[in-house]
Amino acid sequence: MVATFLSYWSGRPARRFDGWSVAAILICLLILGPILALWLTAFGDSRGLWGHLVSTVLPRYVVNTLLLMLGVGVLTVVFGVSTAWVITRYSFPAKRIFEWLLLLPAAIPAYIIAYTYTDFLEYAGPVQSLLRDMFGWQRPADYWFPEIRSLGGAVLVMASVLYPYIYMVTRIAFRLTPASLFEIALVHDKSQFWSVGLPLARPAITAGLALVLMEVVSDFGTVEYFAVETITLGIFNVWLGMNNIVAAAQISLFGFVFILSLLGLELYARSRQRFAGNGKSAVELQPLVLGLKGQMACQAVCALPLLLGFVIPVGVLLKFVLAAPITDQLGQVIDTVGATMLMAGAAALLIVAVSTLLVLAATYRGGIVVRRLTMAASSGYAIPGTMLAIGVLIFAGVVDRTWGGLVGDPRATLLLGGGGILLTAYLVRFQAVGYGALMSGIRRLPDNMMNASRCLGHGFGPSLKLVILPLLRGSMLAGGLLCFVDIMKELPITLLLRPFDFETLATYTYQFAKDEMLETAALPALMIVVAGLVPVILMNNMLRRAG
Amino acid sequence: MKVANTKARAVVRRATMRLTNLLVAGFAALFIGGGPVVAAAGEINIYSHRQQFLLQPFLDAFTAETGIKTRVVYASKGLAQRLLAEGEASPADVILTVDIARLSEYADLDLLAPVESPVLASNVPPHLRATDNRWFALSTRARLVATSVDRVAEDAIADIEDLADPEWAGRICTRKGSHVYNRSLMASVIAANGADAAEAWADGMVANFARKPQGNDRAQAKAIFEGQCDVAIMNHYYYGKMLHSDKPEQRDWAESIRLVFTNQDDRGTHVNISGGGMARHSPNPEAARRFLEFLTTPVAQQLYGEVNFEYPVNPSVLPGGVLASWGDFRRDELAIENLATLAPDAQMIIDRVGW
Repeated sequence: MVATFLSYWSGRPARRFDGWSVAAILICLLILGPILALWLTAFGDSRGLWGHLVSTVLPRYVVNTLLLMLGVGVLTVVFGVSTAWVITRYSFPAKRIFEWLLLLPAAIPAYIIAYTYTDFLEYAGPVQSLLRDMFGWQRPADYWFPEIRSLGGAVLVMASVLYPYIYMVTRIAFRLTPASLFEIALVHDKSQFWSVGLPLARPAITAGLALVLMEVVSDFGTVEYFAVETITLGIFNVWLGMNNIVAAAQISLFGFVFILSLLGLELYARSRQRFAGNGKSAVELQPLVLGLKGQMACQAVCALPLLLGFVIPVGVLLKFVLAAPITDQLGQVIDTVGATMLMAGAAALLIVAVSTLLVLAATYRGGIVVRRLTMAASSGYAIPGTMLAIGVLIFAGVVDRTWGGLVGDPRATLLLGGGGILLTAYLVRFQAVGYGALMSGIRRLPDNMMNASRCLGHGFGPSLKLVILPLLRGSMLAGGLLCFVDIMKELPITLLLRPFDFETLATYTYQFAKDEMLETAALPALMIVVAGLVPVILMNNMLRRAG
Repeated sequence: MKVANTKARAVVRRATMRLTNLLVAGFAALFIGGGPVVAAAGEINIYSHRQQFLLQPFLDAFTAETGIKTRVVYASKGLAQRLLAEGEASPADVILTVDIARLSEYADLDLLAPVESPVLASNVPPHLRATDNRWFALSTRARLVATSVDRVAEDAIADIEDLADPEWAGRICTRKGSHVYNRSLMASVIAANGADAAEAWADGMVANFARKPQGNDRAQAKAIFEGQCDVAIMNHYYYGKMLHSDKPEQRDWAESIRLVFTNQDDRGTHVNISGGGMARHSPNPEAARRFLEFLTTPVAQQLYGEVNFEYPVNPSVLPGGVLASWGDFRRDELAIENLATLAPDAQMIIDRVGW
């Protein structure tokens, strides 16, 4: 009794196996199955390919990947943190509009923005044409212009659409920082940003950055188009060029382990830091009012990422859509919008349900095993989509063969061939997004909430229903919407695992974009952005209330 | 007031519940959709590496002629792994690819069934199909050299080997070496000249590059038009596509280049194929065979030219339209399987020379 009380009191879960733990462990094993399948593949015979790779291309791949991560990491943190700070701390004209506009780039797939930027900045594009007209240059040899298809170009386009991951979480962190702490900084004549805001937002920034870096490592579309030789590109060369799926699996897991070690390092560095608010925000944080120059500076800080991540790419897409008649394409695009929304909606619902269950089990029920497993189950995000899809295929093959044996019909399937496998794959890949949102939500709840409810005589189930779940509603919605947007623009998994004659906006766009038929790809690409608007606006309303 | 409020809440709660139920039901339907998806007798399922919009005209013509409906999954990578995982439960009847390497990957993984068909045997020449009839070429595409009309003399380049000549230093553009088209070209050079000579050639050519390999074949024509380079490697059909593009700038790119059918005095120009085969566990093998046969008939063979400017494989079909206007040329008649066998060696050379 005393032990149980103590463990509740200290926020430590009681160590016992009940229905919750068992369910959580089973779900985690389901999610980890495909990742495990990839590990098993990697233990095959790579036919001595590593020697060749290490002596030729691998060092280049690794260096390029690191530079890309560094570049995108720095730029997304600069964009995400500066905008979040300006939006929460200052008051300036059009702030309310910027607040949600800044989330919009999240709805644009990175490979689409790569195509639009190439169109915009290439020799025949508007920028260079204008420069030639202005300065009377005739040929490419007459002047120097930065090449968009380069490492730098990849950093720019990826950072422009990925910074919202950091903006979103950092904004909440800044808003939840008690106003009294900023006042202390003022009293001591210290910088509010460097001494209070930034250190307290570090966990949030890291969480966002982790998602960004995982996206960077698993991206294929952008790096392929820009011919930046990263590890992911190497995976495909080895797999498709040398027919060596074993070595390809090994390289993907190499990247996977690398990312996880980075995260582990950060978690360790943070493990002894704890910040506890008392739950009562005595005084609401008042935004500072600035002079005209300061206001303009704030607007400039917000306008830059918005221009790069939304205005330019959407402008290019609009130019194409308006230039050509779209009527014969429209019917198909509208059908595709419906299918995309249904699939993304169903998957987002599934992910939120699973994340909620896992987070509750890890926080209030299971012991160390459950907690570790639930964390491991959100690692699918760090594996390139196509490789993860192959892991899912192998796993589903095993499941379905077992099932076929059970029912005595080798053609019977549970997962393969239908929507089930796609949902499974989305769950494995985007579990990190839902889990992250739910986990940060539950961490913000004071430890004593559950205990108070239990002390008042409610059981565990009723306490969840009456106290915890209502308080998590915001996080559930946020995680769901984020997953929805992510799934809507997801390409490689959908492409490979979809049922017959099933198109999402992303796959429909891709078949044309692949052939550089940007004029035909523009309308469906624009629809991805439009369909992403509603979740983004909803998300912003929630963020506003989160404060 | 309070009563009204409670009522309104109840309505909202019911609506929410109904919405949730609906989503759960839809969700369940998706899962149940995972049951057997074997096509009805009048239907075939296709796994395609060729984009759907390029495939659609063939499917429409096939359905019009036979009444057999078609369903497609298009993906550029990984379909072989999908088929492998599905095993006996696979709903796929036909596999279509756009190069020989992918096709032979299916054959190596034992995912294709031999098709004994007199129609296919007479419509597809022996060097363009598998010896055991597990796959068939359906169209051919030549990989050529394109030169600047303005800056390169008409007879300056005759053979693909000429690209290693220091004369072209800083003047050549290509897409990445690891792209399947270049890998297969590299394999053809290995087959013709041996691995050492092929590596020396690739090394010399890479030293002549005007810029880091990038973009697709169309982008190389554009680079010639813009003056970044004078010589490029490309598949012939891109020229046709650009020449007949709706976009005036693409027509400009096409008009700035000249196509060189290489190696006309020795082995002929390197050609790759698009092709197909029947899935080993095809639930509907009869219809699958009919579809493959259909693709080699004169109607469909002409369509390859009309839709995508590709050359027919059926010797009784002459290339029509634009293709005819380019004249005939000597093709490298290397048994096409060798391109796939040599692909891993080719990729290693590409890695070593940094193409």
